[in-house]
Amino acid sequence: MENISISLSESDQDKVSEVRVDGVIDTTTAGELEEVIDSLLKRDRFRVVLDLAGVDYISSAGWGIFISHIKEVRANDGDIKLANMINNVYEIYELLEFDKVLKVYGSVDAAREDFPATSGHQSKKKASRSRN
Amino acid sequence: MKCMFRRPIKEVNAEFIAEEKYLDSLQRTVRETCVSAGLSRRDVTAVLLAIEEGATNIIRHAYLYEKGTIRLRVVVYKKLIVFSLIDAGRSFQPEGAGRVDLERLVESGRKGGLGFYMIQKIMDSVEYISAAGFNELRMIKRIAPARPESRPFLRRLFTLRVKFSFWTFLSVLVIIGGAYYYIDRRTSQYLYDHLDDTVSSLAQTIAAQAALYAINRRSDVEFDELIVSYLQSNPELQLIVLSDSSGLILAHSEDIHNIRKPYKIPTFVSTAELGVPQRYRVNGRQYSYLMTPIRAGEVEIGLVHVGYSSAQIHDKLTRARWRIAVLTLVLLFFGIIGIYFLSNYFVRPIVNITRRVRRFASGDLETELPLEGAEEFFEISRAFNEMMTRLSRDRKNIVAREKMAKEIEVASQIQKTLLPLELPSVPDLELDAYYRAAATVGGDLYDVFAISPERYCITVADVSGKGVPASLVMSMLRTVIQIQSANAVSAKETLIKVNDYFQKNIPPGMFITVMLVIYESARREINFVSAGHNPMLLYKADIGEVVKINPAGMPLGMPTTLGPAFEERLEEVQFTMEEGDAFFIFTDGITEAANREGQQYGIDRLINLFVAEMARSARLEISSLSKAIISELDDFSGFVKPADDITFIVARSQLPKSAAGMDLSPDSEEREIETKSVKNVGPEPTETN
Repeated sequence: MENISISLSESDQDKVSEVRVDGVIDTTTAGELEEVIDSLLKRDRFRVVLDLAGVDYISSAGWGIFISHIKEVRANDGDIKLANMINNVYEIYELLEFDKVLKVYGSVDAAREDFPATSGHQSKKKASRSRN
Repeated sequence: MKCMFRRPIKEVNAEFIAEEKYLDSLQRTVRETCVSAGLSRRDVTAVLLAIEEGATNIIRHAYLYEKGTIRLRVVVYKKLIVFSLIDAGRSFQPEGAGRVDLERLVESGRKGGLGFYMIQKIMDSVEYISAAGFNELRMIKRIAPARPESRPFLRRLFTLRVKFSFWTFLSVLVIIGGAYYYIDRRTSQYLYDHLDDTVSSLAQTIAAQAALYAINRRSDVEFDELIVSYLQSNPELQLIVLSDSSGLILAHSEDIHNIRKPYKIPTFVSTAELGVPQRYRVNGRQYSYLMTPIRAGEVEIGLVHVGYSSAQIHDKLTRARWRIAVLTLVLLFFGIIGIYFLSNYFVRPIVNITRRVRRFASGDLETELPLEGAEEFFEISRAFNEMMTRLSRDRKNIVAREKMAKEIEVASQIQKTLLPLELPSVPDLELDAYYRAAATVGGDLYDVFAISPERYCITVADVSGKGVPASLVMSMLRTVIQIQSANAVSAKETLIKVNDYFQKNIPPGMFITVMLVIYESARREINFVSAGHNPMLLYKADIGEVVKINPAGMPLGMPTTLGPAFEERLEEVQFTMEEGDAFFIFTDGITEAANREGQQYGIDRLINLFVAEMARSARLEISSLSKAIISELDDFSGFVKPADDITFIVARSQLPKSAAGMDLSPDSEEREIETKSVKNVGPEPTETN
């Protein structure tokens, strides 16, 4: 009925993975997004920017993905950054006080630039260490 | 909760199947209720999220994805909405039931509890009650006024009342200001002129006295005393100097030692203008200087110089102005408050109208605006009432129409099950049946079935009335005929048994006409009865004519108290079908089909058509006759919608195959002629009764 489409683009330069989501993130569609995020984290790609420009609605299943992974991601010097939220989604984000936990940005580029400029090699090393 | 004891404005109850695909309709119900209750758009979005969480919890944890239902109850109060999600599943106390903490959630790295955290954040109060096998998640949301959010603060500030007060204030201010300015100018001008006059006459007095003193040769000291005393008694005077004709000072109000010294007239004063005050400014203050000649007789012996200031008058005027301004402002302020409250009085009807219209919008279609107040509001109210009445009437019409459409759908569903899917093949008898429902569902029936190896029952019936009740009776009739005709030999006996059943079971006021034919295939024998039904048309192939057979009989379900009993009246007809003979049984949908002029198709047209078609299509399939009848009926009635169902069965005793083949090519012309002759015969068919 309601659908979701996810496209992933990974950059080797700044090690940021950009996940563009369109549609609705609810109970029925959250699994798909979680798979994408899980696959990134398994490959030690902890710098994730979510482009939410095309997302009309995020239910707890969707927020749950971000909230449940953020600790692990941060422990590995990464972050999950949310960009381009539409007003409706932002209002919920604010109401639920997720601003204490997750950072939002006006654009994907702003989110990208907010990652500290470390050499990709180093951070990868660190990452694998702390995962073991 | 204090508000809980107030009367609820609205209560919505609904039940949903506990499956994720029904969440949508549950949310739609919640959304509609919230919007009509006046919840802001932002809050509606949030509440929907909370409801989804609550319902998802029930589906997953209370029912563990098994079958169940979720009951939704939404009660709207004036200032809050109470949402209840009730299930009969496992009692599932949400994780961390007390208060879920976001930081702990993040710390745990799990998703459980997030849903409940969200519900708590969104709603103002959450309760989970588990009793008597039911669990209720009760959530309360306060209604924050929705309007402010949608409009900028400044726009909201400028209500009609404020605008009205503001413009009134402004216009009053302009009027008062103008009047004040005019009066002030006049008054101060008068005061300044008055001062000039006073000083001028004073100077003349001094000049006169000085002349006297000079003539009498009084001492300078006396002069001085004189002018000092003048200065003291007139505070607006600043300087008085007397000079003689050679410009030496005779007396000086400021310094007595200046006497006999030459007097220096201030540079900005023109000596030519005597007796006229000359104005000058020093340090922003206004001064006047007046010179008046001292005359002894006709001889000018000196000048009186008077310097004076209008500052005192100016100060007094300023003070007076301030007092007036403050007083005016205070009065205006109270005036505006008065205007504001007065405008309330004018605006109140608008507020009333708005409230009523909103009630109408939230579903109370019976709301009416009171016809009261000023003429303008009276008109608005009347216009609104008209609109509301029309809207609610239209809505009722739509509901009624939908109900009718639903009924027609149900009835036609039933009717479909009434008609045989396909006709059985009967030896040596070609059969075709036709049924077409009218716009409204009627109660026609046809059926053909075997009752024993060589006997077949062929029946057409019509129930009085339409819609679902008629369809149900029809379905009953079909069953009863099929049961009672099993192994029957006589059509009459069968129908009597059928009538026995119906006399006991038919709804009062309803009756059925039936044509029941039993065909014996071995001897091609027909035996039939008609319970008040349309006649049978029998085509005799040997003479090419149609016989109308209408045996006596009363419709099923007629009360027996009227006239003779059913079985006494019922007349049975028997005959043998020859090869090529055909009979046609039908309902009155054919004969009563009307055209634009209101004429009915009638039995005579039908007989003519039947004769002509039977002759023409002797070697064609029997279904071609059905098509011919239908197309002729359609041509006749044109665009007039049929009022009744059209049903008929046509049966023809089969021609031997060899004969059919033999007749193919020759004398087709002869047949053409025959057809014409038959047509002429048609209108006066033989009647058998």
